[in-house]
Amino acid sequence: MERAVPPAVPLGQMEVFQALQRLHMTIFSQSVSPCGKFLAAGNNYGQIAIFSLSAALSSEAKEESKKPIVTFQAHDGPVYSMVSTDRHLLSAGDGEVKAWLWAEILKKGCKELWRRQPPYRTSLEVPEINALLLVPKENSLILAGGDCQLHTMDLETGTFTRALRGHTDYIHCLALRERSPEVLSGGEDGAVRLWDLRTAREVQTIEVYKHEECSRPHNGRWIGCLATDSDWMVCGGGPALTLWHLRSSTPTTVFPMRAPQKHVTFYQDLILSAGQGRCVNQWQLSGELKAQVPGSSPGLLSLSLNQQPAAPECKVLTAAGNSCRVDVFTNLGYRAFSLSF
Amino acid sequence: MERIALRPENWPGTADEVIRKRLLIDGDGAGDDRRINLLVKSFIKWCNSGSQEEGYSQYQRMLSTLSQCEFSMGKTLLVYDMNLREMENYEKIYKEIECSIAGAHEKIAECKKQILQAKRIRKNRQEYDALAKVIQHHPDRHETLKELEALGKELEHLSHIKESVEDKLELRRKQFHVLLSTIHELQQTLENDEKLSEVEEAQETSMETDPKP
Repeated sequence: MERAVPPAVPLGQMEVFQALQRLHMTIFSQSVSPCGKFLAAGNNYGQIAIFSLSAALSSEAKEESKKPIVTFQAHDGPVYSMVSTDRHLLSAGDGEVKAWLWAEILKKGCKELWRRQPPYRTSLEVPEINALLLVPKENSLILAGGDCQLHTMDLETGTFTRALRGHTDYIHCLALRERSPEVLSGGEDGAVRLWDLRTAREVQTIEVYKHEECSRPHNGRWIGCLATDSDWMVCGGGPALTLWHLRSSTPTTVFPMRAPQKHVTFYQDLILSAGQGRCVNQWQLSGELKAQVPGSSPGLLSLSLNQQPAAPECKVLTAAGNSCRVDVFTNLGYRAFSLSF
Repeated sequence: MERIALRPENWPGTADEVIRKRLLIDGDGAGDDRRINLLVKSFIKWCNSGSQEEGYSQYQRMLSTLSQCEFSMGKTLLVYDMNLREMENYEKIYKEIECSIAGAHEKIAECKKQILQAKRIRKNRQEYDALAKVIQHHPDRHETLKELEALGKELEHLSHIKESVEDKLELRRKQFHVLLSTIHELQQTLENDEKLSEVEEAQETSMETDPKP
């Protein structure tokens, strides 16, 4: 008896294109809405997708709840970083930063509120903006990226107030030290620089690659990720992931992780880090690896902890990276499910 | 007559309710109902019967049926009482469980706060440990101070020695200077004396060659 072979259904051009797009997608940045119920994710095609966390976490979640409620084309180039204020979503990519109203986006009206470009030294260069940082005390935004400078922009007036120069190569990441309003920036030149916002000067420089305990010359000297907890700082990337005591500029603990880490953050008494490799790593300050939870992407680029007080039921950790999926961890011990573009 | 009353079409109100109630109540089956009907029929027959003995036996039979009916009624009443008390009991247990659930919720919230506190404490302890490790690498302060003191003393001692040696040197130098200058003076004086004596000798010889003017 001949087995009936079903005729091959020709896939439309559009579907093939979309499948290829999803295959090659990288999600660079994430941001949680001020109400805590929605998550925005920006990818390398310049699109931003908004996922409803409350729908995906509810007990009657279906497959469609894990898809975005709205996707729109935000930038021409990749969206490297995003940050949320209490009403706006700010996204930055190749050279400019745009603002969107959360209320508008949730109603599917995707028109940008404003767009600004920091003053670059020459008009020919359009450097990418790798990191955005909000300074709530002075209501300003700090941008840093390819032109090796930190630009401060006042959010009310939109003017660029300072340009902090000191890095000799492009800047990867920023962190805010709350007690004394200082900004830490880490870049490709291997140095972590602390800037005082009031005097606009560089206060301290830590050249990570010069310290023997953590330097790994075969990986390079670039600092890919920074996080700070007022007295302490964690940084990683080319050199090993290390915990530093800022006052004395000494490396106290080196975390034994081979793969370069691309995002690190402090959480309660742990340090969470993610980078090349599927897992989200949880470290204790003493240097012990507490847990390694695998995600669904082959490499992770950003972690986001939803700690908004307005939505305690959506308190999750989301991780995204070299794929079109955003992993959601409801409990730090395992991956609950994945949202997908 | 009863048969007609028993037919469901003739029942007033909702048929379901009545059926349900009847089925529930009539736990004993059609026994009780039939017994009562039989009793009524036998009573009527007994009233209409003639002979004494039959009447007596029928009377006995009726009494027994009556007592059976009373017994089953008593049983039903007791069961009803029991059900009421069970209901009360269940109400009580329900309330207790609700209270303990609320108590457990509160305890959970307390414990969560305690966990956060404990995590903070652990973090502080680990930070302390990390700093302590770094500090351990550096040598002990007391020892370094002691070493510094010892070195200081040595330095002082050596400088004392140097001073005394220099003093001695100065003294010697001065003494030699005095000696040398005295020697020179003596030399000078001797030379002067020699010159004087030569001059005197020369004068004497010239006076001898020229005695008479």
